[in-house]
Amino acid sequence: MKMADGSVILRRNRPGTKAKDFCRWPDEVFEEMDSTLAVQQYIQQLIKRDPANIDLILKMPDAQDEGVWKYEHLRQFCMELNGLAVRLQNECHPETCTQMTATEQWIFLCAAHKTPKECPAIDYTRHTLDGAACLLNSNKYFPSRVSIKESSVAKLGSVCRRVYRIFSHAYYHHRVIFDVFENETHLCRRFTHFVTKYNLMSKDNLIVPILEEDNILDESEA
Amino acid sequence: MKIYGNLTMEDTSIRENGGQIQMGPQGGSVVNNKPSEQGNSQVQYSIPGILHFIQHEWARFELERSQWEVDRAELQARIAFLQGERKGQENLKNDLVRRIKMLEYALKQERAKYHKLKYGVDLQQGDMKPPVLEDSNNVDSQAETESPVVANHPSWRQGRQLLRQYLQEIGYTDRIIDVRSTRVRALLGLNNNAEQDENVNGAPVNGNESNKRASETQGRRTPAKKTQPSSLAEAMMMETEAAVMVNLDFLTNADVDMEDDDDINEDVELEPGDEMDDDVKAVKRKGKLDDDVDAEAMEVLNELNLLSESVDHQRQDIKEESNEWNKGLSYSSTGKPCRQLRINDEENIDSTLGLGELAQLTVNNDAETTYDISSSKEAFRKTWNAKYTLRSHFDGVRALAFHPTEPVLITASEDHTLKLWNLQKTVPAKKSASLDVEPLYTFRCHTGPVLCLAISGTGEYCYSGGLDRNIHCWHRSHGCSMSNIDPYDLFEPEVLNCTLSGHTDAVWGLSVLHSRQHLVSCAADGTVKLWAPHSEGALLNTFTSEADGVPSSVDFVNDEPNRIVAAFNSSHSIIFDTETGKPVVRLESGQDSVAANKQINRVVCHPTLPLTISAHEDRHIRFWDNNTGKIVHSMVAHLDAVTSLAVDPNGLYLLSGSHDCSIRLWHLDNKTCVQEITAHRKKFDESILDVAFHPSRPYIASAGADGLAKVFV
Ligand SMILES: [Zn+2]
Ligand SMILES: [Zn+2]
Repeated sequence: MKMADGSVILRRNRPGTKAKDFCRWPDEVFEEMDSTLAVQQYIQQLIKRDPANIDLILKMPDAQDEGVWKYEHLRQFCMELNGLAVRLQNECHPETCTQMTATEQWIFLCAAHKTPKECPAIDYTRHTLDGAACLLNSNKYFPSRVSIKESSVAKLGSVCRRVYRIFSHAYYHHRVIFDVFENETHLCRRFTHFVTKYNLMSKDNLIVPILEEDNILDESEA
Repeated sequence: MKIYGNLTMEDTSIRENGGQIQMGPQGGSVVNNKPSEQGNSQVQYSIPGILHFIQHEWARFELERSQWEVDRAELQARIAFLQGERKGQENLKNDLVRRIKMLEYALKQERAKYHKLKYGVDLQQGDMKPPVLEDSNNVDSQAETESPVVANHPSWRQGRQLLRQYLQEIGYTDRIIDVRSTRVRALLGLNNNAEQDENVNGAPVNGNESNKRASETQGRRTPAKKTQPSSLAEAMMMETEAAVMVNLDFLTNADVDMEDDDDINEDVELEPGDEMDDDVKAVKRKGKLDDDVDAEAMEVLNELNLLSESVDHQRQDIKEESNEWNKGLSYSSTGKPCRQLRINDEENIDSTLGLGELAQLTVNNDAETTYDISSSKEAFRKTWNAKYTLRSHFDGVRALAFHPTEPVLITASEDHTLKLWNLQKTVPAKKSASLDVEPLYTFRCHTGPVLCLAISGTGEYCYSGGLDRNIHCWHRSHGCSMSNIDPYDLFEPEVLNCTLSGHTDAVWGLSVLHSRQHLVSCAADGTVKLWAPHSEGALLNTFTSEADGVPSSVDFVNDEPNRIVAAFNSSHSIIFDTETGKPVVRLESGQDSVAANKQINRVVCHPTLPLTISAHEDRHIRFWDNNTGKIVHSMVAHLDAVTSLAVDPNGLYLLSGSHDCSIRLWHLDNKTCVQEITAHRKKFDESILDVAFHPSRPYIASAGADGLAKVFV
């Protein structure tokens, strides 16, 4: 993209870039992004601009393939969940949280193993994120980032269900961490709105009380 | 035509040139009486008839002479080519013998070691002398007497002599040579391609033509030796002949008896034909033999490779040595084992090397393996192909580093994680030759993008620097090797060994000094810090140069372990003394650095030479002399900013990555690009962010903004 003075904006983080300047470049219009990673670029650009503006972040551009849109958002969620996992590592120890639980109602089994296993919460978190990274990058199910088979799109729901348990465990067992993280990233709120908007999870499973807070439950039903 | 001029000049010349043609003394008067005798065409031996005959004969001899000239030139070119091949083949043989000797020695050492460990007694296995290698002249003279090619020399020389005599007999006409020389050149130009074609397909395109010609001659030739061109050289000769004949058809069709035609043909064709056959066959065998020898050598290498790490080291050294020989690079030997393996040029060949059958084998191969001189260098130059795709990161991969010995690498990504991969644990990807690798372990501790990475010389520790200002030091506990990890193992907090905090902004560069376990880092806070990560008070020193801005990359100066080089985004680099903390040498291009963005994105030091190499945003790679601080070489290396550099462990090749989506491999000797690979896609305006050489195995890797890492073999 040429500027008026003829200089070209290069959106690069060159070595030596200060942390505050990282990815701090003028926004690029989605239609002008010609990269195969345009959707990721666009989503990250929106988040960078204002992570709290969830409606805008989740607003799909016209003529965008919905499967790719959901897929790229889920990649972004899993990536940002690494941040929550790092924080949990300091507090959520296998000795204290021996099982993956949120409310006392369910014990979640870790699906990363050949036979689902009762992993401690922190291992459940790591294994689930690692497994999601493998699945979402799998050449078999997601060979392209510009078009995705319908059968692969169907896999997104189960990934959402599993990674959501990380939010719920943090919310019910490590509330301080959850709040600090949520305050910074609005990630659980964005995730909740995302899965609701695209019907990737049933509302019964959304046990972190966010929709109630936002009072959008009725809206989305309407 | 010139024929008239010649005829009127002197009849003696005709006699000389004509050789067997008996013209008699009346030749002179024939010419003089020519106009008056014109009417008597009915007479059997009329003057015009004789004249006509003479003209025909003259033209024919001229033609044949020129044809032989063509043939001679071709044969000479052939000879030169074959001699070149022989020389190249000897070089290759020398190299293989050298390698085998080294391996033999290494194997013996290993056996001795093993034996000693097992039985506590020294193993007596004969000669345990380190191999001493002959210098190339000795081999040359040796080969001179032994090789069958040379054994054939007398008859070969005879053939040449004969040919030369013949040519002298019929004289020399420059004019016709000139006309023909273009054709010869064209033919010689075709030479190489044609040869390859034949080697592959068996029959070259011009085969038909030569066959036709062959059958044509067959009729006139009594016991026809060959009905098909048995060798390329012959085919080419025939082809030339055929072409000449077709062009001057009117001459051959003339109703003149050409008795001696056959004789001449046989004389010329059979003699060198037989000679050439052997040689050409040797050439034909070349392709296959090369493969065999190489495959065998590789097999041996691979087998030995498994024996132990130390053998592995030695093999590497051997490679280094042989490369060193080729390139004439001075190689510093600090801290390397098996110094006694150094090849001594001065000493003579030791015939009691204890090679046994191996030695025989290589001598026998002497004449059969051929290798072009130019490509003997290329024996070590391979073409890299993408083999493994490492997909599991959610965002750009900023850095990668190989384990020093195992086929293991670690990647660092903007998705806040580092991942450990074992290239031997692959998932075959459908419909593609490349293999997918799944990560074995994910390191999580950074709270932002991970920007840089370094692995210690033992592979025990891994250091990573991130946008979160921290340097984390990772360690795999319970001594197990990095490759035996269940990806879904239980969490071990002790994986994170320590955290070096001290930088106040993003950490962009890391480098390890293996000999001292020192770590140097640079950060956007403007400082370069030297650490001893595993001791109390890890921070050893801090270096700054405010005038030069923010450091973007650091490396240890390999030939002077007390020095580090730091590159700044002002396009200058500074070599610091780590003990005094003072700048020692400035690497400045001197031009106005602010105008164009000449920011250095990466700086690396040559593993053995006092040479610093920097990758610049302005598409250049620049080479600097560490002692003088002067620029040695500067080149536009890519179509876009150069982002990353790596020098292979032997210091012969340079790998560069750029935002133009390609990685390029450079020959450091002559700074030429050996290979370019388009490796990654763009995200925003970034593409390739890091490249690496495996320190001991034939792997190279690239990391991209598209979240992938690729490994090439
Ligand atoms: Zn917990
Ligand atoms: Zn698990």
